[in-house]
Parts: sequence; structure tokens; C-alpha cells
Amino acid sequence: MTVEYVDAGEAVDQGILSGKVAGGEVAPPVVAGVNYDRILNAREEPQNWLTYYGAYDGQRYSPLDQINTENVKRLRPAWIFQAGTTGLIAGASTYSFEAAPIVVEGVMFLSGWDGWVWALDARTGVEIWRYKHAVPFDVSLCCGNVNRGVAVAAGKVFFVTANAHVLALDATTGKRVWDKTYGDVRAGESATVAPLVVKNMVIVGSSGGEFGVRGHLDAFDLETGEHQWRCYTVPKPGEPGSDTWPADGEAWARGGANCWVTGTFDPETNLLYVGTGNPAPDFDGEVREGDNLYTDSVIAVDVDSGQIRWHYQCTPHDVWDYDSIAECILFEEDGRKLLGHFDKNGYFFVLDRTNGELVSVTPFVDRIDWGAITRDGKVTPRKYPDKEGEPVHFYPGPAGAKEWTHAAYSPKTGLFYVPVQDTGATATRRRREFKESIPYWGAGVQVDIEDMAGSISAFDAKGEEKWRWRNELPMCASVLATGGDLVFAGEPSGEFNAIDAGTGELRWQFQCGSGHHSSPTTYTVDGRQYIAVPVGWGAWAEGFLPGMLGAGHGSAMIAFALPD
Amino acid sequence: MTTAQERPDLLRELGLDRQNHAALGRVLGTGNIAEATERADGTMEATIRIKEDELAWDPSILVMPHGGDIDLEIINDDKNTHCALLPSNGDRKFIWLVNHSKGRATLNLDGPGYYWYSSPTGNDEGRGLTGAIVVLGDVPPEARLDRPPQPRP
Repeated sequence: MTVEYVDAGEAVDQGILSGKVAGGEVAPPVVAGVNYDRILNAREEPQNWLTYYGAYDGQRYSPLDQINTENVKRLRPAWIFQAGTTGLIAGASTYSFEAAPIVVEGVMFLSGWDGWVWALDARTGVEIWRYKHAVPFDVSLCCGNVNRGVAVAAGKVFFVTANAHVLALDATTGKRVWDKTYGDVRAGESATVAPLVVKNMVIVGSSGGEFGVRGHLDAFDLETGEHQWRCYTVPKPGEPGSDTWPADGEAWARGGANCWVTGTFDPETNLLYVGTGNPAPDFDGEVREGDNLYTDSVIAVDVDSGQIRWHYQCTPHDVWDYDSIAECILFEEDGRKLLGHFDKNGYFFVLDRTNGELVSVTPFVDRIDWGAITRDGKVTPRKYPDKEGEPVHFYPGPAGAKEWTHAAYSPKTGLFYVPVQDTGATATRRRREFKESIPYWGAGVQVDIEDMAGSISAFDAKGEEKWRWRNELPMCASVLATGGDLVFAGEPSGEFNAIDAGTGELRWQFQCGSGHHSSPTTYTVDGRQYIAVPVGWGAWAEGFLPGMLGAGHGSAMIAFALPD
Repeated sequence: MTTAQERPDLLRELGLDRQNHAALGRVLGTGNIAEATERADGTMEATIRIKEDELAWDPSILVMPHGGDIDLEIINDDKNTHCALLPSNGDRKFIWLVNHSKGRATLNLDGPGYYWYSSPTGNDEGRGLTGAIVVLGDVPPEARLDRPPQPRP
């Protein structure tokens, strides 16, 4: 006898099964009015955090001062949002919560790992909507299943996925508006960057520098997703800079220089300032003789055309994995338009951002022995893995004296606040042939698990250290500076700290239960200031802090505020 | 040492392709493989089912010829209740599958690459109810790198 099947119906969105109140899944249209002019003047609306760094200048500074050095000791969690993980995901052991929360008029837009984006009520932490992109399990991830954040404008939320798509979502519903592929996962490309909205474009960079790809930036139309321009960061033969690569062979085609961290922008120069990644193979320089432009460089890109106008290379012919992807902080001093950049190689570069001229270069970490850079910018390598099979130890290690996590600059104090990692590593050159999608390092690498240190260090624009808050472990999370004369900085061991911006004294601390590797932001709702910090240890811990590889992961977005 | 050619025989001999013989459950990826059917409009369709007492998806590896939309018919022929949590762009798709039930799911997947899905109840996942969807193909030409063809493994 045949028994009819029970009708199980149609599969539903998992988000429906998350306790939502009917009607609560639509966000108010707060992003509809966010446009280029508002982002240009983002600091004039400090209740919001409109763009990745808070403003185009990359300062990660908010003038909000309700929470200050006097009352910060009363700071406490206002709410916690936790997402967790379900099932088998790409790089399951490497996921980390790296985002910088964006906030517009009381709505927080936040990306997680593995294709997650959420809209949250920024006052309560209640989820409004979620978007989950399906990320292939086998996508090539250099450094973990991570994403650094979203951008908002024109009623949309923009973000990238690990399989190198850039998407626009409706900011009220989380529904997909457009979806473009801008990288080749079969070539080992991926994407982790927080997009940047400039004018009518959303600008993104590619990841995959450990897989021998050719780095690029791409711009897409905000409304339609139509491709506007692509800027390759390694020149083809015959193009300017191509003479810095071997004339024969295809080293240039595998050269790296990926832009996996968000750029900054100056509307007066009309230039994007973007740091580029390491050359490939990371540690085997013999197969790519020359300076290898535009790897490990600060590049200034005309935002309308996508053309490189000038460059400054921080580590020519890098064989230490010293990406220059770190933020380019724009500031003015003595009437000059300057750019500050704390490089993985341990040096703080100040450039004239109108032409790329070096203004000053000074070390910002205690131990540097890979080489030396003189005050006029001359680079002399000293320790490098050039002999096959021979281990070479050097400082800083491949994660750098500062990795991607960002410094902050307070125009109020005139100081830069830098998360410092003082850790060495050993690389042993091991040549391998290039094969698309296979890691292409050219070495065996082991980062030290002992004899390490960290700090939040304060520098003036001339590179003079003003104070240092010391930590036993390297500091691996972005710093936030506020008008309350506070510097917020998370530790790998979970503590979230408020440090006096003037003196370096610790004023407040809270144990968040997992290590920090994200970018805290701040905002107000109904006049109450919040400090928002995603908490979730992971990512390339074997690179920046292998001594914490065994630490627990987390997935909590914590908002702190003073008591009502 | 075994070879790849001996794999099906060795799986059977060692009891790795059944419940509670070698391991407690069924080792992932040891089930059947099937291809989705492509319709004239480019969308795809396939049926996946759970057979009695196997605690595995059949096929355990479903292959899509390219990225896009696929309609799945999902059948639970088992005498226990299971469910499915499936990957799809926008949100994962969930369906509850009581004993002897049949349902549907429409998925949108990019590819190329592969995705895991499972029955996230009890330890259905560990016992064997974790399946794969493989999407073939390449990214669009405009997304590829401007460089000569490169060697692959």
C-alpha cells in the first residue's frame, strides 16, 4: 500500500525563526538620505558613524565627549548581540569578528564572517534584518573567514563576500539590490575589505596576495552596480613601473599588491590613498628581482579615472611579507596636507599627500632588524631569507609591527595612537613553482610564541613618542580616539580598555570574554553615547600572535554606555 | 596502502559507508553522487532524499552545472524526523521533515565552489546527514585577472 507523503511545504528563510516580532524586520529609511556630501562632512554629525573610518580622513576620531576621563569608570555594557556559527563554514577554525560598526540615526549596520550582514537597533541590539550570503566552503582564504565592514549610501548597504562579490542591499529590508563578481576564486582571489563610497561609486579592493594573484581596486556605480574602473596595482609589461619586475617571465602576473584594507580620500586632491599588499611569493625574492612596484606602497589614485597619480614604496623588494595595507591617515600640520602611515615594517611614514614626497620616517616599535630606513628614506635590508633551506629570524615578523588594525589620530591632542605588535619570526626559503590557487609563499614560516610585547603608543606627527601603555601581549585591534580624551583599545586576551589620551593611563577596563581583532566605533542615540566593539578572536592568529592560537573564539557585538 | 580505485570496495569492507559499523555514524562524503537537471531557462532541479536508517542524504554530493537557481524536492523516507538547513544567497533555507514527508526548497548559489548543508537537529550532522552541493563553472570573464593563462594543479 502506498502512503502519501506528508507535505513538508516550502523551506523558509532561517531568519524567520529568530524570535522576530511581526513588522520588526524593516529598518527605518535612515540611509535614504546618506549621500556623498554627508559622508564628506561626516564629522559634523557625530551621532552617526557614517563610513569605515568615521570620516574620509581615516582618523578614527569622534568628537563625542559624553564619556570622558572623569566618568569612564562608570562605563558598562548596554547590550550584547551574539550571532554564533552553525554548520560547516569556510575556514571554520579561523573566523573572527573584524568589522567596524556603521551607525545611522539609531540603526547599526554590521558585517560578520562568512557572508553575514545585520541591521540592529543601535539602542537595544535587537536584530532588525539579516542577510546571509552563501560562501563556498572551499574558497581560498589567506587569513581567516573575516570581513571588515560595510558601507552605506543611497538607501543601500554595500559589502563584499569571501568569494569576491560586491553586493548592494536595500538598507530597510536587507534584500539584494545588485550583486557583482569582481574576483576570480579559481585564481585564489577573495575579498575582505570594507567598501568605501565616494561620489556615485562604491570602491573595493581584492584579497589573495598569498596565492600569487595580481592586485586591483574596482569601482562600481552605487545605483546600478555598473563597473566604472579597475586599477591594477602591478603594471603589465610596458606600463609605468614594469621595469621594476623581471623583463622575462610572468612574475608580474603573480605579483600580489592586493588592496585588502579600505583607503582614505581627500576631496581637494581628488585622490584615494590606498596601501598595497606584499609581493608574491612573499619570501622568495629571487624569482622577482627588482623593486616590484606597486607592492608595499602607498598609492594615490585619481578617484574619477582609477589612475595611479603617485606612489611611495615603503619596502622595496619585500621578502618579509610587509604589506603596506595600513590606513593612510590624512592630517594637516604647518599648513601642509600630510598623510600618516604606520607600516608593517615598523616605520611611521609621513608623506606630503599632494605629491607623495617623504616628510619624515621614524621607527615606532622597539625591535627592527630586518633592515633600516634612514631619515631620507633610504632602505638597507640586513636580514632576509635568501638562501634555500637556511632559517632567518627577523623583527618584526610577517604580521608586522602593526597589522591591518588601525591607528587613530586625535586633532584635539595632535597625537597618533598606535596598536603595536613587537614579535619576531623565522622564515626559511623554500622555493616552489607557481600553480594557480595554491598558496605561494616561497618559505616555511614560524612566528615566535615567546619574547613578545605590545603597546598602545602615542606619537606626534614628527614621530616622537609621547607615551606608551605597555602590554605583555601584542596589541592586535584597532584604536578609537574620542573628544572625551579617551583612547579605546582591545586586547587579545579580551580586555577592552579606555586609556587617557593625554597621559597613557588606563582609566577603565572590561573583560569581554574573547580577544579583540576589530575596529570599535562610537555613536549616540537619543543623546546617549555608546562605544561599540565587535568581539571575536581568530583570523590569522598564527601570524600575529600564535601564542594565542588556543584562545576561544567569540562572536559578540558589545555596546557600552554610561548608566541612564 | 590502498589506491583511489579501490576506494568503494574498501569503504564497504571497512564499513565506512554504513551506520554503526566502523564509525558510529556514516563518514561524510561516502554516499552517492548525482547531477542536477538543467531546464531550458537555465534554472536547475534535483531531488534529494533520506533513506530509511541510512542517516545520509542521497545523493550526498549534488552537482550543479553552473551557479544560479535550483529547485530541490526533499524527501524523508526515514522513520524518524529530520530537517534541512540549506545554503542560499539572502538567507539559509530551513525545512522541517517529519517521518515520511516531502517538501521543497529554492536555492540561489554563486559558485564555483562547494557548500555543505545538513540536518541541524540532534547529531544528525555527525551521524552522516551532512551533504555537499558542488557548483561547477567559472566566474564571469569581466571578473578574471588580466594576465596570461596560468598553470593549475
